[in-house]
Amino acid sequence: MNARKLLYVDRRVIYLLVAIGALVPIIRPIGLPTVPTKPVQQLFNKIESLGPDDTVIISFDYGPSSEPELNPMAQSILRHCFQRRVKVLVMALFPLGGVNMAIDQLQAVADEFDDINYGVDFVNLGYKDGAQAAMKRMDISIESLFPADVNGDPTKDMPIMAHARNYDDIAVVISLATGIIGEYWVNLVNAQFGVPVAVGCTAVSAPKYYAYLRAGQMMSLLGGLKGGSEYEKLLVDKYEFARELYEQPEIKITSAMAGMDVQSIVHVIIIVFIIFGNTMYFIMKRQEKAR
Amino acid sequence: MVSIGVWINAFLTLCILSFLYKDNPFFRFAESLFAGMSLGYYIGLANQQTLMPNLFMPLFRDFSGSVVLLIPMALGILLYFRYIPRIAWMARLALAVYIGYYIGVMFLQKLHGEVLPQSRDTILQLRGIAGIDVLWNAVFIAGVISVLLYFYFSAEHKGVLGKVSRVGIWFLMISFGASFGYTIMARISLLMGRFSFLVNDWIRPLMGAS
Repeated sequence: MNARKLLYVDRRVIYLLVAIGALVPIIRPIGLPTVPTKPVQQLFNKIESLGPDDTVIISFDYGPSSEPELNPMAQSILRHCFQRRVKVLVMALFPLGGVNMAIDQLQAVADEFDDINYGVDFVNLGYKDGAQAAMKRMDISIESLFPADVNGDPTKDMPIMAHARNYDDIAVVISLATGIIGEYWVNLVNAQFGVPVAVGCTAVSAPKYYAYLRAGQMMSLLGGLKGGSEYEKLLVDKYEFARELYEQPEIKITSAMAGMDVQSIVHVIIIVFIIFGNTMYFIMKRQEKAR
Repeated sequence: MVSIGVWINAFLTLCILSFLYKDNPFFRFAESLFAGMSLGYYIGLANQQTLMPNLFMPLFRDFSGSVVLLIPMALGILLYFRYIPRIAWMARLALAVYIGYYIGVMFLQKLHGEVLPQSRDTILQLRGIAGIDVLWNAVFIAGVISVLLYFYFSAEHKGVLGKVSRVGIWFLMISFGASFGYTIMARISLLMGRFSFLVNDWIRPLMGAS
């Protein structure tokens, strides 16, 4: 009887425990260690191998609902590219907020670097409707798809566009994706045009991307907040500027590395409940059998 | 000083979180507001970022050189004919073009991007490779075959087929477990994002803490 009572505990009790588990590390960070994995290391190494003559596409294919997971990833990748002086084309193919994510993140990170210039080292090409149609068009001409940048200024006069005529000039496409658009970059752009593709996705969509990663259709996968924290760790270990940056309180509290404290504690709470629920289930089964 | 934007943000966050206790008018208000704003945002975005630079501006600047753009423009307008019953059938012409285009794109995309590379990836060698790789390749092959057989419904699942499809169920359960773990991680990230906002952008400045 007691076992039954415990098993049917009000779901709001679980919500409360999860809320406490999430709040405590936000108020008092713990600083649990982060260990980079091979899929994340591969993108880091790829960016490390690039320089000022190389161009990458970073596509903001997510909206505000995925902000906590993908913003830290976007920031650390942008920081890495700008530190290496790699030319960055930013765009958004996700309709609900992708372009605003791009504007906010690009603005925040570009301000940290004194010697990079808009239109020369990076550009925000804005949002374009049609996903696959837009991707196919870029194989012919990126400028024809984006005749104007996010502010409506013509792109044809921008020096960076001379380094980004079509996919032939692109060293890697990095899609920060919440939905199916990340998949399109893999199964359309990589498959048909041979461009290396890395995807930084929300954790909920990470399992399906492992099939592409394993088949060699993607060069790297950053899965959810964990992927973001691993990239931050690699950046911090490699560069002094990043180490100082991620020590600043306003950046530290929103970093993926800090977020992993919350993840770890809440996961422990959920695992305890799963073990508890299953144990209670078997105890009840035994009690019913005995009756 | 906490800005009015942060107050609105905090209020709407609490409205949405209140659903965890039970359904209530505050939650419904925030939900409806979000849905309405999303639609308005999308219409404005499509107009500003796609229609203006890729359709209207080229037509205004160089009409004769951009006359081909009148075709997709006409197709787009045709879609709205469905709201005029007398000529609603004309909307189907535009739909036929869109569907035809995307079937063509998707057909190649699925074939080149999924069927062929994923099939190729299941052809794995078990000899001539070292150590643990043999085991992983064997597990991979066993997983693919047993799950495929589980979804084979033209014969009753008994005997050898029943046993192999049972193994397939185990593989499926393990993959569902992995997906569940990732789903939890995603949802906790969202919760953390909102809590981090409430604590660091709203409560701490209100209390005068940095």
